[in-house]
Amino acid sequence: MESLRKILPHKTGSTPAVLFASAVAVTALFLFPKFVQNTYVLHIMILIFLNILMGSSWNILGGYTGQYSVGHAAYFGVGAYTTLMLMQVRHIPPWYGVWAGMAAALVVAIIIGATCFRLRGPYFVLASIAVTEILRVVALNLKDVTNGAEGILATELPVLSIHGTVITNFFSKVPFYYAGLVFVLLIIVVTWIVQRSKLGYYFQAIREDQDAASSLGINITFFKNTALAISAVFTSLAGSLYGMYVGFIDPPTVLGLELSVQIVLICIIGGIGTISGPVVGATVLVPLSEALRSNLITEELIKSGFVNAGSRTGVFLTENLAHAHVLIYGILVVIVILFMPEGIVGFMKKLFAIKKKESA
Amino acid sequence: MAMLEIKNVSRFFGGLAANSNISFSLEEGTIMGLIGPNGAGKTTLFNCITGYYAPSRGDILFRGQRMNGLRPDKICKLGMARTWQIVRPLAKMSVLDNVMVGALLRTNSLNTARELAREQLKVVRLDSKATSLAGGLPIGERKKLEMARVLATQPSLLLLDEVMGGLSPTESEEIIQLVLNIKKSGITQMVIEHQMRAIMRISNRIVVLSSGEKLAEGTPQEVANNRAVIDAYLGEFRA
Repeated sequence: MESLRKILPHKTGSTPAVLFASAVAVTALFLFPKFVQNTYVLHIMILIFLNILMGSSWNILGGYTGQYSVGHAAYFGVGAYTTLMLMQVRHIPPWYGVWAGMAAALVVAIIIGATCFRLRGPYFVLASIAVTEILRVVALNLKDVTNGAEGILATELPVLSIHGTVITNFFSKVPFYYAGLVFVLLIIVVTWIVQRSKLGYYFQAIREDQDAASSLGINITFFKNTALAISAVFTSLAGSLYGMYVGFIDPPTVLGLELSVQIVLICIIGGIGTISGPVVGATVLVPLSEALRSNLITEELIKSGFVNAGSRTGVFLTENLAHAHVLIYGILVVIVILFMPEGIVGFMKKLFAIKKKESA
Repeated sequence: MAMLEIKNVSRFFGGLAANSNISFSLEEGTIMGLIGPNGAGKTTLFNCITGYYAPSRGDILFRGQRMNGLRPDKICKLGMARTWQIVRPLAKMSVLDNVMVGALLRTNSLNTARELAREQLKVVRLDSKATSLAGGLPIGERKKLEMARVLATQPSLLLLDEVMGGLSPTESEEIIQLVLNIKKSGITQMVIEHQMRAIMRISNRIVVLSSGEKLAEGTPQEVANNRAVIDAYLGEFRA
C-alpha cells in the first residue's frame, strides 16, 4: 500500500478506497443496460456521457491550462460535420469518419491556436467566440458542402461488423450507450495521465502565471497549443458521437454559441481543473435541464399531491413552467456560481475539510 | 571570457529611455550588485537580459552568444534564470509542485524532479512547507520559494530582483547566507537590491544606474565613495 501511494500523485488523493469505488461504479455502468431497458433513461445517460466528454475535453484547456475558450463548439461542429458528411456523401462508415473528424478538428485547433493564443485573458475569450462564429456562418453559407441551414440528416447508420460477425446495427440506444461510456473512460484516463505528467505541471504553471512559467523555461505557446490540440480532438469525438446518435446536425446546434457556453458551464458547475468536476457537472446539469424542459417537476408535484392539478397553481405550473425552463436553468446556474464559486466539487471538498477539522 | 556582457544596451518606451547606452560585463563565479534609485531602470535591464523586452539598441552576450530577441524560456534553458521583484508564486499549486515545475526543465521524470525539488527546498529551508499551497505563504517564504524554484532550473547565471525587499532583518540575513552559498556552488549572480548593507557585503562589483544611465561601476568601496553616487542617492550637497 505504501509503495502504491508513493507512485500515485499525492495531489489527486487517489487512495485505494477511491480506486475501488470507481471500479465498482464503472462495472455498474457497464451492466446498467442489462437491467434498464427504458429508452428514455438510456437517452439521458447517453446525454450525460456526451456532456462529460465535452466538459472533460474543455477542462484540459480551460481547467488545467487556464485558457477559457468559449468557442469549443468549433471542434464539436467540425467533428460532427466531418463524420456525417463523409457518411452521407462518400458512404464512409462513421467509425472511420470519427478519425477524419478528429484530424480536421486538430487542423482547426492549430489554426485557431496560432492566431488566438497571441491574446491573453478576456481577449482570448472574445477571439475564441469570434472564430467559432466565423465557422458557424461559413457552415451556414457553404450550401453546396454543408447543406447550409437545412443541416445534414443521417438517414441510417451502416451495420458495424468485424469479419462478417455483426457487432451492432445501431437500431437501439445500447450501442450508443456503450460508445459514450467508453469515450468517457478514455477522456478520464487521458486527463489522469495529463495531470500526473510533466504536461500537467506545465499546464497548471501556465494557468497560474504565464510570465512566471516562461521564466522557468516553459515554452508557453507550445504548451498552450498542446493543451488545445488534446482538448479539440476529444471535443470533436463528442461531436461525431452526437451526430451519429441524434442523426441530424445544423449550424446553430453544433456550431452555436449556446453549445460553447454549455460546454463551459459543465465545468464551472462541476468544478474547474479537477477530474471529477465535469463528471459531476454533467450529471447534475443534464437531468436538471431535461426535467425542466419536459416539465417533470410539475408532473411530480401533482402526482405527489403537493399541488392540485385543477387548482390555479397547478394549471399555471403546467402551462408555464416548461416555457420558463431556460429562465429557471439560468437562475439555478447563477445560484451555484454565487454560492459555490469553485463548483460543486470544490464546495464538497471544503465541506469535508471543515468536517475533518471539527472532528479532529 | 565574461559570463555576461552588456554592450551599449538601450531600451526606449516611446520617448522615454528606461535604459540608455549601458555597458558592463560580469565575470564567472562573481556577484554583481545592481543598485540605483527608484526608476533607474534596473528591472527594465533585467527584463531586457532575460528576454521579456527586446533591447532597442545594443547587444546582450551570454557566454559569447547573442541573446537579443530570444524567448524567455529559451534563455532560461540556456542557463540564465531570474526571480521577480513582485513574487509570482503559482498560487494554487503546492510549494513542492512549484519547485518541481522549475526542476522539470532538465528532466522529464516526475520522480527525479520531485527529488530535485525536495533538495532545493531543503537548501532554502522551506521543506517543512512542501505540501502547503504556494498562495498561502507569507512574503518571506514566498521569496525563498522563488529562489528554490529558480535554482531548480539549474542555472549558471542567476538574476535576483530584490529578493530581500520587504523582509525582516533576520529573513534578510538568511537570504544573504543563501546568496553566498549559491556563489560557493559556482553560480554567477546579478543582484538588484535596495538594502545597502546587504549589497555591500555580498557583491564583488557594483553597477549603479540612475535615470536609465550607468552612473558608476567598481568595487563596493569605490562605489560607496563615489561623489556622483552619493549625489544621486542623497541629492547634491549644498553647503
